[in-house]
Amino acid sequence: MDNLTLRQMATIAATFLAAILLGIMPTPGAAAFMRPDWVAIVLVYWCIAIPERIGIGIAWLIGLLLDGLYGSLLGEQALAKAVLAYLALRFYMRLRVFPRWQQAVAVGFLIAGSDVIVLMIKSLIHGNVPVWSDTAPMVVNVVLWPFLFVILREVRRRAKIS
Amino acid sequence: MGTFLGWSIKRPSNLTKLLVLAAVSIALIVADARHRHIATNLDGVAARLAYPLQMLAALPSTTIGALWHDLRTNARLRRENAQLAQENRLLQAKTARLGALTAQVERLQHILKAPAPPGYRETLASILAVSSGPFTRRLTLDEGANAHLYVGQAVIDAHGIVGQIVKVGPDTSQVMLVTDPNSGVPVVSERNGLRAIVFGTGSLRRVKVPYLPITADIRPGDILVSSGLGGIYPADYPVAKVKRVVGNPNEAFLTVVARPLAHLNHHTDVLLLWPKPGRTGRARG
Repeated sequence: MDNLTLRQMATIAATFLAAILLGIMPTPGAAAFMRPDWVAIVLVYWCIAIPERIGIGIAWLIGLLLDGLYGSLLGEQALAKAVLAYLALRFYMRLRVFPRWQQAVAVGFLIAGSDVIVLMIKSLIHGNVPVWSDTAPMVVNVVLWPFLFVILREVRRRAKIS
Repeated sequence: MGTFLGWSIKRPSNLTKLLVLAAVSIALIVADARHRHIATNLDGVAARLAYPLQMLAALPSTTIGALWHDLRTNARLRRENAQLAQENRLLQAKTARLGALTAQVERLQHILKAPAPPGYRETLASILAVSSGPFTRRLTLDEGANAHLYVGQAVIDAHGIVGQIVKVGPDTSQVMLVTDPNSGVPVVSERNGLRAIVFGTGSLRRVKVPYLPITADIRPGDILVSSGLGGIYPADYPVAKVKRVVGNPNEAFLTVVARPLAHLNHHTDVLLLWPKPGRTGRARG
């Protein structure tokens, strides 16, 4: 595979930027608690699509930026996103051949796994007890995956990234 | 991949990378949680980077809000205007009475040589973003260290105490709400002066009042106002209204659930308070 051109890198960066903006956009109360983890979904997609290019290091850096934006402890999201990227890279061969709905459930479990790390850190350091509504974003992630997959695949094909 | 001083160097495996980065993350988390001053500089950089992104993210909702506002009918505005004018007259009448009462209190306090009357300076700040991040509810304000905000500053609205500032960047700052599980506000019951502490639960509609003995005189409907003890929140601002009191004779403490009075869901602007120099926390007589 060739190195990515500047234009292709910009395309990938733009998808991450869009995901980050969607993640911090102010929303009404009802929508806020079921806000999906946009960045995680985009990250998993690129890990599956171009595992040689997008990996744990980039995931960690994006997580660090998210920590700055969310105001969470520095390193919390970074750790979660690095673990997510590791899991995605570990299973990308299998994930590629899964039927779409099975892929959605599997990706949902990977993201939920990384969310559990965040919840564990929060309960260790702040003593926050996880509540049931924390699982709503995990379900929304699964529902959203097939749609975002199609959109991101179209983006990838137009930019001729392979 | 290559050789270095006779050793063959391989590209690090994914697991190695993950372990190294996880160790760095955990070190950062511990540093951030234990020694805020070490991480503060890094955090300041992150806050600077985040500011334009937060502005951009808030843009659609502010634009839609402005459009919606413009599209409202003339009649509705006129009706509102009339209603507001009426409210204004009522409030002015009340304020006039308050002014007279304040003057009277000041005179009496002067006679008693009591410490200075409520001496807080206040400023408005607008909210840039709400609920930034999964599993936490925090407000981001558009003022920071450049406007002399400081960590531990009280934030209120027209209905009661909103929370306190926990992180200050150059141009932004973050508010921990009274409903945050880490928040505790010293209060007294308005009805009988019972002292208590209001803790957050993580839900915007619920706070709890633990550690009240089973015999404590507290009922649904009681208003809890800040006591001024602890020195962070000024005294006599409403904090919460008691919703439910459950007393199990087998337990040492009551289970008291209350509803925060500040409108935590509807803010666009909040008030920031600065104590005037020379003033210390007021104890209740």
